[in-house]
Formats: sequence, structure tokens, C-alpha cells
Amino acid sequence: MNPARAERRAALRAGQRAILQSLPGAAAWGLVSGVAMVKGGLSPPWAAMMSLLVYAGSAQLAALPLIATGMPLWVIVATGLITNLRFVIYSAALRPYFADQSLRKRAAIGFFMTDFTFTLFMRSAQEGTLPDRHRDAWFAGVCSTNWTTWQVCAMTGIVAASYVPTQWGLEFTGTLALVALVGPALITRPAIAGAVVAAVVALLAHGMPYRLGLFCAAIAGIAAATLADGWRGAAQSPDTAGTP
Amino acid sequence: MNDPVSGIALAIVIVGLALSTFVTRTSFLLAGARLRLGHRIEVALRYAPVCTLSAIIVPDVLMHGSQALDVSPLNPRLIGVAAAALWLCFSRNILGCLASGMLAYSLARVLL
Repeated sequence: MNPARAERRAALRAGQRAILQSLPGAAAWGLVSGVAMVKGGLSPPWAAMMSLLVYAGSAQLAALPLIATGMPLWVIVATGLITNLRFVIYSAALRPYFADQSLRKRAAIGFFMTDFTFTLFMRSAQEGTLPDRHRDAWFAGVCSTNWTTWQVCAMTGIVAASYVPTQWGLEFTGTLALVALVGPALITRPAIAGAVVAAVVALLAHGMPYRLGLFCAAIAGIAAATLADGWRGAAQSPDTAGTP
Repeated sequence: MNDPVSGIALAIVIVGLALSTFVTRTSFLLAGARLRLGHRIEVALRYAPVCTLSAIIVPDVLMHGSQALDVSPLNPRLIGVAAAALWLCFSRNILGCLASGMLAYSLARVLL
């Protein structure tokens, strides 16, 4: 094998290793989403199609009760869209890191990006644990592992919906995996300020229609973190950070 | 109550949701250099993960499945997160964090 390919493979493997320990979170959350779709009234083929095409747990779970109560189509799609608005922020944050990739690759990076894989990427970029080259291969390793785990577990949940013990609160594993990912970042003042403001706004705005609260909380948190940072971070560019 | 959405309508909903996910996730990635936020904003977006996850995690823990805030120390999810956070103070092992959090959460649900 030529050295360039070997290096890409090494980056891919490093990505797979980076997400390995967190997979129980993806597995539990995928399983619960599969069960929820079937118990929410979707027949297994429709549920499987939703899981494969939408691949966004929170938007799927937000849409289910609206589907079950026969809400107008535009209300269901609008709710999903607004639940997904945070991905626009993620997409903007990832843009500098993948600006030199082909259009097809950027589309794939977007499609497979989730709360978890995005946060893992950003955390690794800030900790300097990303490989210097072939970040796309590293991210592909992370995302393919996450996607496969999620889909296999979602399909299991769809097929075996009546056998999965939902009363155990398995989905909480997904929340804990997010805690494990983000907890260690809460050591700087701007990060803590951002997290606190985002949490307070999210709690206050919980009743907002179409799940707008999450997006508002993210924006408020980022603004607070930036203020706490005193714009000091402007000295460092994400375009140059981490490049060799 | 209306009938559940089904058939063609359900297909439209699924395609609509899929488009909403794809369009939001790829927005800035696909726009490339044509649609760039200012430099300062791209720096600020480094705080996006910690803020968004906080906005996802905290309501899930403190108001799970209801509109009411549950900040009592007997809230099983709060106990689970506390155990996971305590684990993270001493170890970066994520499996251990998940296990300790789930154990504390499950024990709290059974015992309290």
C-alpha cells in the first residue's frame, strides 16, 4: 500500500477509535428512536425509511406525536426544520475545516454530522488530537461508526419494539454520552458562561412553539461565551488552527 | 382528533424531514467560500458544542417529559448526571462515565 493511502487508513482508524467508547450512547438512543417510531404508530417499513432518510433522532421524536395526532403536514415539517436549526450553526463551525474538500465530500460530511460527531470533531480539533492531514478520513471513521451503530440499533428497535424494555430509561445513556463529551470542556470561563446561559434560556424557552427554544438557547450561549471571552479568541483563526 | 398521517402524506412528511435535516446540516458546508460568516463569528462558533449540548442536556435532566422544573435532589436524572460528572472529575474513561451514570440513575429510580 502506498504511504498516502496508509496514512488515510490510519486517520480513519483513529476516528473509529475516538468514538468507540461512546457507542453505547448512540446504540441506546438509536434503539429507543426505533421503538418510539413503531409505538408512535408508524409501520415498520415507514419507520425504517424515516430512520435511514432523516437520521436525526430529536427531529424524528419531535415529529412523532404530531404525525400521530394528524397535524397538518407543514406543521410537522416546520417543527422538524426548527428542531434541526442548530445544525446550521454546526455547519458554519465545520466549514473552515473542510473548505478544501470536494462538493460531494462536503455534502457527505453534512449528511453524517450529528450532535455527537460534530462535538467530538470540535473537541478533538481544540485538543489538538485530530490528525494533521486527512481530517476528512478521521471524520469519516467517526461518522461511519456512529451511523452504523445508530441504524443497526434503530432497526433492532423497529423490529423488536414490543420486546425492548422502554421503562428502563435506556435513552438516558445518550444524554450521559453527551455529558461525557462536553463535561471536560467546562473548565474555561467562557465555556462555563456559555453553558449556563444556554441552559437557562433553554429552560425558560422550553414551551416555545416548534421547539425554537433550543436554537435561541444555542445563540444566546454562544453570544455569552464570546462576551466572556472579551473577543480575545479573535487572535486565533479556526482557518489556521490545527493546520500543519 | 384527526386521523394519523399515513400513505402519501406520510411519505411527504418523511421526505420533508429528510430535506430539513440535509439542508440544515450541509448549509454552510456546501455554500463554501461564497457564504462566509465573519472571522469573529467563526471563532465564536468554537463555543457552539458546549452551548448546544448544554441546551439539550439540561432540559432533558431537569424537566424530562413534562413542562415542570424538577430540581429536587431526588430527581433520578439529576443523580445520574451527578454521578457521571463525579466520574469525569477523576477519569476520562467514557465507558465508566456512562456506566456510573446509568447505575446511579437506575438505583435512584428503583430505590427513591
